[in-house]
Amino acid sequence: SGELYCSLPNPRNVRFESVNMKNVLRWSAPEGTGDGVLYKVKYSVYGVGKWIRKPECRNINRTWCDLSSETSDHEEQYYASVKAFLDGMCSDWVETTRFNPLTDTKIDPPMVSVSSTDKSISIILAPPEKWKRSPEEESISLLQVYPGLQYNVAVLNKKTKKRWFFSISNNTLVVPWLEPGTAYCVSAQIHVTTPLLDSGFSKEHCIATLKEK
Amino acid sequence: DALLPAPQNISILSTNMKHFLTWSPVIVQGATVRYSVEFQGEYEREYANESWIPISECSLSTATQCDITDDISASVAYKLRVRAQAGAASSQWGSLEGFFNRVTTALTPPVLKVTADGCHLLVELQDMGPALQFRVLFWRKGHESRVRQAVLSSGSAGAHLATMEDGAEYCVRAQTHARAIDRSSGFSPTQCVRAQGDTSVRLV
Amino acid sequence: TAGNRIFHFGACKVSMSTAEIRAGFTAIKANIQSRDPIRTLSILSHPHSLHKVKSPDRCCITHHLFNFYVDKVFKHCTTEDSFVNRKISSIANSFLSVRRKLGQCHEQNNCVCGEESMEKYKQILANYEGLNVTSAAMKSLGELDILLDWME
Repeated sequence: SGELYCSLPNPRNVRFESVNMKNVLRWSAPEGTGDGVLYKVKYSVYGVGKWIRKPECRNINRTWCDLSSETSDHEEQYYASVKAFLDGMCSDWVETTRFNPLTDTKIDPPMVSVSSTDKSISIILAPPEKWKRSPEEESISLLQVYPGLQYNVAVLNKKTKKRWFFSISNNTLVVPWLEPGTAYCVSAQIHVTTPLLDSGFSKEHCIATLKEK
Repeated sequence: DALLPAPQNISILSTNMKHFLTWSPVIVQGATVRYSVEFQGEYEREYANESWIPISECSLSTATQCDITDDISASVAYKLRVRAQAGAASSQWGSLEGFFNRVTTALTPPVLKVTADGCHLLVELQDMGPALQFRVLFWRKGHESRVRQAVLSSGSAGAHLATMEDGAEYCVRAQTHARAIDRSSGFSPTQCVRAQGDTSVRLV
Repeated sequence: TAGNRIFHFGACKVSMSTAEIRAGFTAIKANIQSRDPIRTLSILSHPHSLHKVKSPDRCCITHHLFNFYVDKVFKHCTTEDSFVNRKISSIANSFLSVRRKLGQCHEQNNCVCGEESMEKYKQILANYEGLNVTSAAMKSLGELDILLDWME
């Protein structure tokens, strides 16, 4: 293909960064190169014989390329590769390690909604959705991808500063017999046992129980 | 040239899925004696020409014990051996008598602290590592036929067990469960608490 | 790590844990896969994915694959890295435990080998024998997560 003379330093730290299976290829510019470096990207399905170019990431000057669509089948594994160009020179192709969307993605914390009565709080949790091509596309919950998905829920009594922990498999939790007129803060984490994956804890959602009637 | 005597009294200390190989020191006047440990699993005996695998953390170490927990990570029979070295001299291998299988590990009941925060029954369990879980039984005193159970992972602080009926007394006991070998310890002593509005009273 | 759980391979139900195999593999995955330069071939997942194996055949193919790894793969995976060798030993010995449990299904005749699973297993062996033994063994070891993802 009439490749140019490839003596440009290579792109560095070429890797997939994946959150909820939104799989983005990222890299750092070659050492010592200022502006003006362009890149092109290709990817391959592991075990399948060909590299596929990503047209939307041809001659780009940014250092990332969204390959979510190309790597959306989480029963496959993938490689991706980047090449840099500057002033008629090019670098070698630099590959990622083998990417397994199922085990190599990070999971966002669950969505938390809280309501209260005078003596109880009700917590409803929702796992993040798997990345999808467009809003119109059918949503796939990560619960469908990871059937063993569970939640760890922390409930902080702001008055006593005591924190209680709950481990639940379904997505609702009612904590009864609370103190009226007291603020409680709730945060939750997703815990998947196989493969072993944990999200971080969500930010705290605080709510006060109603004052006693 | 085995000038050194082989290490003696080689034995295993295995508690709560943590396994240690220990032996008596080899004494050589005026010399520092170091030891190296190797292990052989059933796979190595049956399929890999009875090969031995060194444990790097316990190679040329002066300690007379070696933490083999990470290497004994299957429920099969393992052989273990240790030899002494001082300068250029080294001893014959001293071998553990027989085999070691982690299914024989000693499991001890967990140390737990039961409290009531208002009407809420809480339990705190010591951290005994990821290989262990705790099976916690709890019931309302006088309702022994209706025992409930929770399985908690190690190091649960402030785990919420139940919401108690006001004024009722609840009792808790727990056992350690080693998932990989599917075995449990005996139960810890029972602890009871009673919830009274804001103040909690611990009754043993 | 996860504990024992019930795996369903068609009619075969086995209580076992793959967590330690998974943990051992995760610890050496990057090292092992970096030793496999061949991107265009897979032992387990192409041309036909394990995910296409029908439920009744799952036990047979699983049992054959555990035998495949014990008999053919692990022994050719010795490396110069002591840590990697120890993890491979851990995985290999765990495989013996799991294989013993799968064997129970064989004895209870819950592990029938249909035509499809034998076809799939032959394909895997053909993929394996298409490479020199060290490359084939290292590639197979690097694909352990494909087997585990499918099993789990």
